Amino acid sequence: MKIFDKNDYKDLDVSKLQYVQLEESIHDTNFETKPIGFFKDAMLRFCKNKSSVVASILIVIIIFFAVFGPMMNDKGFNDQDLGRVNAPPKIPFLADMGVGLFDGGMTLVNRRVENLSDTSQYPEGCILDVYNRRFINGVEMCDLEVDYYIYNDVDEVYWFGTDYLGRDLWTRLWRGARISLVIALVSVVVNVVIGVTYGSIAGYYGGKIDMVMMRITEVINAFPNIVVMTLFIMIFGTGIFSIILALVVRDWIGTARLIRAQFYRFKQNEYVLAAKTLGVPDRTLIFRHILPNSIGPIITRTALAVPGAIFSESFLAYIGLGLRPPEPSIGILLSEGQKVLLYYPTQVLFPAILISVLCISFNMFGNGLRDAFDPTQRGA
Amino acid sequence: MTKYIMQRLLATVITMFVILTIGFLVIRLMPGSIFDGYDEMTPEMMQALNAKYNFDKPVIVQYFIYLKNILLHWDWGISLKMNPNVPVWTIVKQKIPVTLYVNFYSLLLSLPLGLLAGIVMALKKNSGIDYGVSFLVVIFISVPSFVFATGLQYFLAYKFGWFPIIYDVNAVGTAKLHSLLLPILALAFSPIARVARYLRAELAETINSEYMLLARTKGLTYTQATIRHGIRNSLVPLMNIIIPMFTTIMGGSLVVERIFAIPGMGGLMIQAINTSDHQVTLATLMFYSFISIITILLVDLSYGIVDPRIRIGGGKAE
Repeated sequence: MKIFDKNDYKDLDVSKLQYVQLEESIHDTNFETKPIGFFKDAMLRFCKNKSSVVASILIVIIIFFAVFGPMMNDKGFNDQDLGRVNAPPKIPFLADMGVGLFDGGMTLVNRRVENLSDTSQYPEGCILDVYNRRFINGVEMCDLEVDYYIYNDVDEVYWFGTDYLGRDLWTRLWRGARISLVIALVSVVVNVVIGVTYGSIAGYYGGKIDMVMMRITEVINAFPNIVVMTLFIMIFGTGIFSIILALVVRDWIGTARLIRAQFYRFKQNEYVLAAKTLGVPDRTLIFRHILPNSIGPIITRTALAVPGAIFSESFLAYIGLGLRPPEPSIGILLSEGQKVLLYYPTQVLFPAILISVLCISFNMFGNGLRDAFDPTQRGA
Repeated sequence: MTKYIMQRLLATVITMFVILTIGFLVIRLMPGSIFDGYDEMTPEMMQALNAKYNFDKPVIVQYFIYLKNILLHWDWGISLKMNPNVPVWTIVKQKIPVTLYVNFYSLLLSLPLGLLAGIVMALKKNSGIDYGVSFLVVIFISVPSFVFATGLQYFLAYKFGWFPIIYDVNAVGTAKLHSLLLPILALAFSPIARVARYLRAELAETINSEYMLLARTKGLTYTQATIRHGIRNSLVPLMNIIIPMFTTIMGGSLVVERIFAIPGMGGLMIQAINTSDHQVTLATLMFYSFISIITILLVDLSYGIVDPRIRIGGGKAE
């Protein structure tokens, strides 16, 4: 069989050539849909996951209140007034609807029934409920639910009540949420930045560099978290900055390991070799060519690390290493509320709900992201 | 294997030593002296006390004295603020048992429950039960143990009165368990959920493997095949998360102990930090380090024992 090559066609007369199907219409059509990129693809999958969407809406709501909540009433987070301590929560329109939690109710026990109509003792309209009537030594006694605000003649209304210094808990709760979120987000971002850089270098260069760098992380990892955080706060004092640092010290190691593993997976690929052959410097190879492959796991890890950071902040507050008063944080509100749990349960109720919703939402959000970026991992 | 164990033990001892050194230096080099706030003290009194506790010597000398006392006499110094002049070890010794009791029981409680939940989820994969339990798992993992502790204390102990509100120090036997059940429960939620989630993932994968198919082909029923072959094989990697979980529980226990007024290591550490009783703080930190390092050691050693497929040789495992 003869193999034709260019030289065989050398003598052809180009003007004799003509197009075969110039007049015919082409049946292929343009794509009417837009191409779907990596992020759009992930976004589509994410939106299918209802619980993650609900979680992200909850996160947005909480962030909204954390930013604007403290401005919604005219009370400062540190306005103390000993004439209105430990007030129960009262939101007038919810109280009218009969929501018992927000009617400003306070329980008084062992009151004489005959005094109930005495308006000097019980101002008009303050009695919400009378129950448990009984006779003790011939005197009729009862327990009362009174409206704290009318009973104590406080003309303001505190939506979430006040604490033991008469500070408005609505303002404190959202300000605390703001501070806890800032601590959590900043520490997570710092830990991801350090972890990604460290992991990239170890993973890309491999060999001796990798070995030394990984031994260093093992040594840091051997220190228990409690001990590291405690020592850190003891050295640097209790400020936002030192708490953030204390949260970062050990947490970046997980990120570094993850990124290192990703680099081991991708650095042998042909496209990396091609780039290397073209003389692309190491830095560009690392950050431009290999690292973007790990963007999914990085984002997922960031979201999943937030609840851990919030937990650690509360933990520090509980053991007395939290922010300095009067600054609130979710952890500080929780530990202050804990002290009066049996008498004023609402003081711990709201921070507890907030921290639970926040942690659950971030976990669900993170799980949704993981499924969206890497569908093969679903349910793991 | 023996060589490996020896290496690991040596590494453990070195790590403890490093932590002790760093902890000692950090605490000694902190600003402020132990006499802050005692303004009525005369300089002579301070000098005498400094000499008694060796605070007048250079830090490095203090360190070696400290180390020598620990190694030769198991003497961790004496408490200066909380219980003045009581040896630290005497204080710590009383607190360790109840802490271990609470932590150990919560781990013990969480294993069967977690395994059960995990197996149910894997077998009923993608059904209503699976989704329901998965949702609970997310809640249990997310909500911090001290929120659970607060809720349990308020509702079960205060409202319903089923349990004592705080720990009864004098209780023994079942009464002790009864009064510690709430803290144990509060700490167990998160491990239960972690075990369940991990086992679900493992088992769901194992069930589809070829040896399960073979077992079915040989005539085993679905239940038999799952219990004999599936679960057994999924339990192997579970070891790696169960032992380190003890350290995590310990961390939560610090706060939960405080909530239920349990006189354990957690309360001791918080009190020591807040009264700046540094000798006690250092001893409690060492206790927590010890627990954590021992668990890491156990995991490393158990790799080879639990799963013979993982051989620990001199080669690099990458």
